[in-house]
Amino acid sequence: MLIQVLLSGIALGSIYGLVALGFAVVFKATDVFNFAQGMFVAFGAYFAVTTINLLGLPFPLAVAAIIAASAALGVVIHIVLIQPLSGRPMLSVIMLTIALSIVMRAVIEILYGVQSRTLSTPMPTGIFLVGDVRISQLHLVAAGVSWLCMAAFGAFFKFTSIGLLMRATADGHEAALVSGVNVKVMNRLAWAIGAGLAAIGGLFLGQLQIVSPELEHIGLLALPAVVIGGMQSIPGAIIGGLLVGLIEQLSATYISPKSSDILVYVLLLAILMVRPWGLFGQRELGRV
Amino acid sequence: MSHALELRDLSVRYARKGFALDGVNLTIPKGGVVALLGANGAGKTTMIRAISGLLPLHNGQITGGSIAMDGQSILGLPSHKLVRMGMGQVPEGRLVFKQLTVEENLRVGAAVLPKSTEKERMDAVYELFPRLQERRSQAAGWLSGGEQQMLALGRALVTRPRLLLVDELSLGLAPLIVRAIYKQLKLVGETLGASILVVEQNARLALDFATTAYVLERGRITLSGSAQDVANSDLVRESYLGVAKEGGAA
Amino acid sequence: MTATVLRSGAPRAAAPSPWRWLWWALAAAALLYLPILLTERQIFGFRLSNMMLLNIGLSQVNLMLITMLGALSLNYLTGSAGLISIGHAAFYAVGAMTAAITGSQWGWPFPLVLIAAGLGGALAGLLAGLPSLRVRGLYFVLSTFAVHYLVVFAFMEYQFKFFDVVGVPYKNATLGSWTLSTPMRWYFFLLPLVIVVYLLLRNSLRTREGRAMQAMRDHELAATANGIDVRFLRLKAFAFSSAIAAVGGALYAYYLSNVTSEFFGIQFAIQFIAMIIIGGMGSLPGAVVGAAVWLLLPSIITGLTAQAGDTTGLLRSVLVDHKPQLVQAIFGMLVIVLLIFAPWGIAGMATRLKARLTAWWSRS
Repeated sequence: MLIQVLLSGIALGSIYGLVALGFAVVFKATDVFNFAQGMFVAFGAYFAVTTINLLGLPFPLAVAAIIAASAALGVVIHIVLIQPLSGRPMLSVIMLTIALSIVMRAVIEILYGVQSRTLSTPMPTGIFLVGDVRISQLHLVAAGVSWLCMAAFGAFFKFTSIGLLMRATADGHEAALVSGVNVKVMNRLAWAIGAGLAAIGGLFLGQLQIVSPELEHIGLLALPAVVIGGMQSIPGAIIGGLLVGLIEQLSATYISPKSSDILVYVLLLAILMVRPWGLFGQRELGRV
Repeated sequence: MSHALELRDLSVRYARKGFALDGVNLTIPKGGVVALLGANGAGKTTMIRAISGLLPLHNGQITGGSIAMDGQSILGLPSHKLVRMGMGQVPEGRLVFKQLTVEENLRVGAAVLPKSTEKERMDAVYELFPRLQERRSQAAGWLSGGEQQMLALGRALVTRPRLLLVDELSLGLAPLIVRAIYKQLKLVGETLGASILVVEQNARLALDFATTAYVLERGRITLSGSAQDVANSDLVRESYLGVAKEGGAA
Repeated sequence: MTATVLRSGAPRAAAPSPWRWLWWALAAAALLYLPILLTERQIFGFRLSNMMLLNIGLSQVNLMLITMLGALSLNYLTGSAGLISIGHAAFYAVGAMTAAITGSQWGWPFPLVLIAAGLGGALAGLLAGLPSLRVRGLYFVLSTFAVHYLVVFAFMEYQFKFFDVVGVPYKNATLGSWTLSTPMRWYFFLLPLVIVVYLLLRNSLRTREGRAMQAMRDHELAATANGIDVRFLRLKAFAFSSAIAAVGGALYAYYLSNVTSEFFGIQFAIQFIAMIIIGGMGSLPGAVVGAAVWLLLPSIITGLTAQAGDTTGLLRSVLVDHKPQLVQAIFGMLVIVLLIFAPWGIAGMATRLKARLTAWWSRS
């Protein structure tokens, strides 16, 4: 039983890690704490419903469309909303993202209604039986794809020249400008990646749970994940996601389903009081 | 024959701090080295920011005048375009990428170059600053001040700029190291045929190095001329070189 | 945070001019006549259509007044202590829960219930404000986010333990022998209460402590060098602000006579943030404006879309079937537009306009 819980915790945690990674990329690159990341996840799920179930596109094409649409959405939001606020205090931008999430949620509810929908994809939904342990195939696929994406991103970040330029931009905005980096494009790329990764998370979460505006709250779990792991650290975000997934599953099974998220927020509060820069983050001078 | 850089009647103000530059005129002849002197807050860094397109980042804007590089107006052009046009900058505070290695720092600077020339240009920088080669895989944050300065310079030089802006090279560095770096800079400048603008609080150093000089006080140019003349002027002798009846600040 | 320094009022020069007295008298008369207007829906015998009254009913005005307590307390907190609390609705929940315990379970009289709610809120505010001793800015905002979830969870547990899924019920609100059974009675109870709270908060900002806190809001070191420990002043402000919000929450619960934990979700909390941005952060008049906009928007939109009764398709879906979502979308966009173009909110715009008019007037 415990093994099962741990496995599903790791599977969910991998998805959270992916969403948290997207969040961290945006934060590192543009200094924006994007409260609307939860809605990007929801949008991903709804894009999935539209392309797969409503439009009936072949699966690979649908996935490409979902990622492309989300990435485009991320870029548009950066150009229209985030860029005009560059130079403003961080809290103003946070509130902008909160307002953005309000608008995004309303748009989804208008277009798709408040009722939840089911997402059916060609991904396997069966169970593997290994001894006494039941392993959901979908969990496996979700975890596998998430880790693949995270690894791909890691490789991109570390080994390609665009990845290098993104790292440089995250290291120092002004230094990057001075060195001839087109920081605007880097920022847009960051938002495209952030939204795209969230959408992939939404695709899986939508099928594992249910597609409804409430997905926003599940997506928002990426926020404590990033903070717990360490806001300035990309590996920290991923580990934070894993932790959140594990805590969620463990408390849902052993305490109560209602309390699944609460311990995450308790941990968040504890970290903020004791070690605000997260488990893997670096201490910043002075208080943020 | 157009100048390497020409500022005409340039005025700049900041959103929250008010005006910073007022009707400034400055020219850098092709291949020349120009020193810009002035106390803290006089507006030297503002001028550099105005030239290199960094004003918006600091909530500043150009309210009048023109800036031309090789006769071409560069007002309002974004920084990354200017770098591609041949402008290199060694900013105040060095601004190296602390978490990237030395090699990666240089690669960022070289990103505007075609892939084929990248290696050769980087090797040239390593030749110029052998210390950087020794430390090529180290994170830039761990380098000493002098090494970081070399790195910042190298990052700018890797593109073989025709106009180089150097802001407060000497800040926080020992005089011997600074002199050594300036010597290298002079060499490179002559080899590349680059024009250099040096912003310096250390007036003596700058005047030894430059051919012409300007003095900026509270946003206005109060003195200009050949480095020799400027060095011998009363104003500079008293206020910036510490040669004074009462001992002026340097 | 943009440094919105609250103006502690013009120097006390001459006595208010006769114009000001007239203005206050008119305002008072209007406020006193408003409930009658909204109930009778006619003025001097002339019938007013729904549209003319912006589709507003007295019960909505009452709800706005209750919400105003939340907006006022939140803006007091941001304006004085420079702390932004995303989870402000949590204190509404605390108030509602305290009211449920003292009122519905223990049967205390209504006034005592309100006091208890205030105290409960103050305690909760003290606890919730503790992170501000350690972290500020973004990290603090995140802590309020976490606190919100915890409080709502506690409410949910309470609701299911002592009541049921339908919700927590509240008895009638009675002051002595006078029961608040009609919207009109609620109005005449709430209006003076809100005014009193407004004045209390405003005066708190004008005290030496209040002004010190504002001046030192962004300059921690200057504050401690001055001998004033701003951190504890901030905690005090948080407790005060949460107490008021809790009273608002108790009133909210009594007004609706039944609430569930869903009422206090993060969606509701975000409404307060949106309100104060629209009205103007850190300013008390801004809170009033923000709450008013929050009230008026749905009614105006309903009024406008009533014209669209014959449309079909997407337009119909947007305008008719999904009105609450449309309201939210417009609300959110209003916040975004203001943040980009006028971060000082509507009240801020009015202040600037007034300043410009005064300058122009004195010049001509």
